[in-house]
Amino acid sequence: MSEAFRGLVRKEFIQVFRDRNMLRIVFAVPIIQLLLFGYVVKLEVKNIRTDVYDFDQTRLSREFVNSTSAGGYFLPTPAETPLLNLESSFQRGSRDMALIIPDGFGKELESRGNITIGLVADGSDANMTAIGTGYMTRMAQKYARDVVGMRMPLNVKYNVLYNPEAESVYFMVPGIVATLLTMVTMMLTAMAIVRERESGTLEQLLVTPISPYTLLAGKVFPFAILGLFEISLALVVGVLWFDIPFVGSPLLLFALSALYLLTTLGMGLFFSTVTSTQQQAMFFAWFFSVFAILTSGFFTPIFNMPQWLQYVTYINPMRFFMNIVRGIMMKGAGLMELLPDIYTLVIFGLVVFTFSAVRFSKRAS
Amino acid sequence: MSLVSVESLSKSYREIRAVDDFSFAVDQGEIYALVGPDGAGKTTIIRTLCGLINPDSGVAMIDGLDCQRKFESIKPILGYMPQVFSLYPDLTVTENLTFYGGIYGVVGEDYRTRVEYLYRFSNLKPFADRRAQALSGGMKQKLALSCALMHQPRILILDEPTTGVDPLSRRQFWEILLELKKQGVTIIVSTPYMDEVARSDRACFVFKGKKLAEGTPAALPGLFEGSLYFCDCRPTVQTLEALNQVSNVQARRFGGGIHVYLRKDVTLPDIATELTRAGFDTGGFRPIRPDLEDCFIQLMEES
Repeated sequence: MSEAFRGLVRKEFIQVFRDRNMLRIVFAVPIIQLLLFGYVVKLEVKNIRTDVYDFDQTRLSREFVNSTSAGGYFLPTPAETPLLNLESSFQRGSRDMALIIPDGFGKELESRGNITIGLVADGSDANMTAIGTGYMTRMAQKYARDVVGMRMPLNVKYNVLYNPEAESVYFMVPGIVATLLTMVTMMLTAMAIVRERESGTLEQLLVTPISPYTLLAGKVFPFAILGLFEISLALVVGVLWFDIPFVGSPLLLFALSALYLLTTLGMGLFFSTVTSTQQQAMFFAWFFSVFAILTSGFFTPIFNMPQWLQYVTYINPMRFFMNIVRGIMMKGAGLMELLPDIYTLVIFGLVVFTFSAVRFSKRAS
Repeated sequence: MSLVSVESLSKSYREIRAVDDFSFAVDQGEIYALVGPDGAGKTTIIRTLCGLINPDSGVAMIDGLDCQRKFESIKPILGYMPQVFSLYPDLTVTENLTFYGGIYGVVGEDYRTRVEYLYRFSNLKPFADRRAQALSGGMKQKLALSCALMHQPRILILDEPTTGVDPLSRRQFWEILLELKKQGVTIIVSTPYMDEVARSDRACFVFKGKKLAEGTPAALPGLFEGSLYFCDCRPTVQTLEALNQVSNVQARRFGGGIHVYLRKDVTLPDIATELTRAGFDTGGFRPIRPDLEDCFIQLMEES
């Protein structure tokens, strides 16, 4: 029996390494995804192109404008379009914000009077608007405090843990690890089984003395190994190339990834039992992946979602794994902290895998 | 007791009766051919024997074991080659053989001697490192047969192994089957080719899920009723139509001429006047012995 299992695993690896498309999926996809998400997806906002309408033109107003460029968040330039036309530069897409400093800004500031400055933002980029207006508010308050010595009655001293610079890539790489493991193992498993059904080799195997469970193990095991290889690759690139910190225990991450694989391989197995062509299997796996990624908290925090959708996220196993990966990598969470997520994944794994395995072996005998 | 027995097997797909009350038995060491056109039900019978289909009624047994309920115990003595090429096209000849070696638990020294043996009769050794997808049709079938023989099965079930294979490779393939028979392997083979029936020990004519006739290749043509003539005339549509107008006659194009069947108890002189009236010279009709195909066609038309 173990001889049959070894034969199946060896065969599966030969097929993966001989198929160019497979190789692309296994080697190129994780690296490209990392580079794309690492460089392109920036949730932090920098270089906000800002038109400055300075109607004050005093030393203080110029100083304030200069101070906003600190940290690289704003790129203030004197406005070229008249104030009444400021929208046209938004419409052209050449500016993101406009800062309006009223006449008397310097005088009022020196006499510690009440000052209001104006900020107009291009709301078509909601993320930039929300973050940029926040930055500007803080910068104005800081300027008032530092330069003029004006005191706010209530100040917040904050301390951001785990990712003080709010680097997107620190946040993205763990997300990619979870996504890759889900997609690769689920899709490859489903497609590899359906391919055997399409080509008639599965039927040929059913006439041999191999048991459905050996067959199942032999089909699923190679993709578990590939999945763990995928996340290793993603982690190595993340740590060496993007310098992301890895605070927790890599061993724990791999152990819990193996636990999560029970669910993803089970899903792949399930898709293989409800489809008859590789395209169908791919479509199912894609559809599920999109649902899983969107409701996992990868891009948007789950608490931002409407209540009913938050309930839906509980049927998404990736949501719990996402929490585990971020917890271990960024926060150094240990077994005890992650127990609720682990319990959930154990239940998911047992239910999904057992259900699919039974379905598969029923069809196979 | 027969090694393989099928009794009153029936299987329908929707309203189509693929197999209809079908029975046959195969003895140890026989080559038994299931002959019939596409869609006759051969594949359904074979897949039932291989435990892949549950029949609506009837039983299929191999070595005294029920093919549906006790199939696990049959597997070790059974080799099966399906109609479509079902090996891994992206694996080489050797890799396919090694894979099936692993599946059947044939390893180490046993595997090496077995592969040497399989290479000897298949002549595939020079192609050992070639991928299965790059093999010719005939070589593919020989590789598939080799994989099915990996565990030295006592019974071999082949579903149209020579369909789409060139005549030379077909002959070589049958030589291998005859060699296996000498070693005591029982073979059930389906085929649409009459010349292959002649090489089997017994054959069964299958049409529309029913058994038309069964017997040795020598005895089967004897089932032909009436007499058969070869008409040495150009087989045009008009000629065939004119001949079929004559009572008690059925004409069919056959190679370069026409085969003319006369119903039982009808002789050529009986229809001579009618033939002459239709414009045929009775001197152009030569009596011939019906062969397997004539017999099959007649049985098929009567059914």
